[in-house]
Amino acid sequence: MLDQYFGDYITVAAFIAVGALLVGGGMFASSLLRPDKPTKVKSETYECGIDPVGGGWSQSHIRYYIFALLFLIFDVEAVFIFPWAVRIEDFAAAGLGGFIFVEMVIFIVILLLGLVYAIRKGVLRWE
Amino acid sequence: MIDYHALAPELLLAGTVLAVLTVDLLRVEKYWVAVVGLFGLFLSFIPVLTLGFCDTLTFCEDTGTRFLFGESYAVDSFSLVLKALFLGSAFVAVLLSVGYLESDRFWQGEFYFLMLSSVLGAVVMASSRDLVTIFVALELVTGPTFLMAGWRKGDPRSNEAMLKFFIIGVLSAALLLFGMSLVYGTTGELTFAGIRAEAAGIRGGDLEALFTVGVLFTLLGFAFKVSAVPFHFWTPDTYEGSPTPVTAYLSVVSKTAGFVGLLAICYLAFRDATFLWGPALWVLAAASMTVGNLAALRQTNIVRLLGYSSIAQGGFILVPFGAAVAAGVTDVQLEEAFFATVTYLLIYAFMNLGAFAVIIAGGNRLRSAEIGDWAGMFGYAPGLATMLAVFFFSLAGIPPLAGWFAKFVMFRAVLSVGGGWAAALAIIAAVNSVIAFVYYAKVVKSAFMDPAPEHVAVADLARMPTVPSLQFALVLTVAGVIVLGIFPGIIAEIGELTKTFASGF
Repeated sequence: MLDQYFGDYITVAAFIAVGALLVGGGMFASSLLRPDKPTKVKSETYECGIDPVGGGWSQSHIRYYIFALLFLIFDVEAVFIFPWAVRIEDFAAAGLGGFIFVEMVIFIVILLLGLVYAIRKGVLRWE
Repeated sequence: MIDYHALAPELLLAGTVLAVLTVDLLRVEKYWVAVVGLFGLFLSFIPVLTLGFCDTLTFCEDTGTRFLFGESYAVDSFSLVLKALFLGSAFVAVLLSVGYLESDRFWQGEFYFLMLSSVLGAVVMASSRDLVTIFVALELVTGPTFLMAGWRKGDPRSNEAMLKFFIIGVLSAALLLFGMSLVYGTTGELTFAGIRAEAAGIRGGDLEALFTVGVLFTLLGFAFKVSAVPFHFWTPDTYEGSPTPVTAYLSVVSKTAGFVGLLAICYLAFRDATFLWGPALWVLAAASMTVGNLAALRQTNIVRLLGYSSIAQGGFILVPFGAAVAAGVTDVQLEEAFFATVTYLLIYAFMNLGAFAVIIAGGNRLRSAEIGDWAGMFGYAPGLATMLAVFFFSLAGIPPLAGWFAKFVMFRAVLSVGGGWAAALAIIAAVNSVIAFVYYAKVVKSAFMDPAPEHVAVADLARMPTVPSLQFALVLTVAGVIVLGIFPGIIAEIGELTKTFASGF
């Protein structure tokens, strides 16, 4: 059993090898076929077609971090609500509609409490 | 349907966590946050009592052990006793924090929020009966304490304490998960009952080696949590640097939660593998007692001294586990060992919280944790010095204080097993009890007999009052240590209840 357990890793190794071969082979084949004329413009950072401005290590405000965190919380909330919304009718049919509704209300109230907390502590103020 | 009565302590505590956060947002004095927290802890204690005395109550349907969520969550006498212990210790820990947090610009609301979340984890831990639940509970206990350890943001020592605690905590969680994954992989079961059933078939098979590694790594993860030697290096630094109420919390609630997890895993999941965890925990117990006590002898800082002392006490708590090293240990002997560990944990909570309460009260006056500065305390604060003596002698195990009974049941459990290895462990424990007495007595002697150092303003200190919340905590713990020491029958009765757990169900 243990031999088989480690044997399964051979499959993983084979996949990694094939993956590396595909990418490497593709790059190699295209380097044989395509013309090679590097210019200064071509090796610049690609930024949606417009001329790049400033260096790559530009600083962004720490406040974005908090906003990102808050965004993430409600993102996850949406992920939880989605399957709930899909299944709620089945639960209602089974007579558990009220229960499943209250569960989600509790979940959202807890998250809203988090938002109220963030507002009261002045996290959303931009100064 | 879900048995809401069985879940009531956890639900009420979770409600309290949210209530504490809400109160913090209102424009009221911050001590209301603590008041709400204390009230919530008291409220969650009520269902623990109604569940415990279910057979005598008319409205309660006595169903014996209540299992929830499959076999993952059990409410039995063991978990109820430990829940009561966690809620009670947390009550004292909150009392200890009140005055401390008011003494400086601390974020009070968040502190109680985090502490109560951590307590919720400990309460869940007492009922966990599968690997996933126990891991989630353990992380819920530990996660908030990382932040609490670094609460004094401006103090580099507090930051150091937090960072060391965090890194070791994450490492131990990784080791624990690795061990659990191997146990799950080899047995194919997550619940403790299932693992126990499957483990019997693994012995002698080609998966035995893998299972052994899994068991040992799981123990290793818990060894970090209970700071057993040689996994203790974070403990003295974290204890010294953290705010003292947090240290009290870490050394009692967080540590007990680790032991509870270890008890449940060893006595339920790995019940038939005593030949694996017995020797491993024998070594940890002997090393923790010896190293903890010898290092404590050299300490000049009283918090650090208690840090090493708590490592040594952890060793004493591990001794009954180590007794299982003998081949062919019977169910009755294992029950005795289990009883000894639970009893020790219950008494340890009282005396260690009390010792920290004294240190916080003394620290508030002296603004110093150096033992030299504590000299002559009897002259200006006789009450405090007397309590210092009570708790330290209890930790040393001097009758008639509660500590003696803890040591007594510990020795009884080991000696009832008999055999060379168990006897050797008993001898190591006995020698260590004597060593421990030296450093506990040294502090007491200094406080009672030595003259106060010159830079201590004795007249000012004599007039300084102790914060009311701290007085309340001191009265609770002193009463506990003295009453339980004189009437050990009370604690024996409670410990007896939990024995059924060790015999399996």
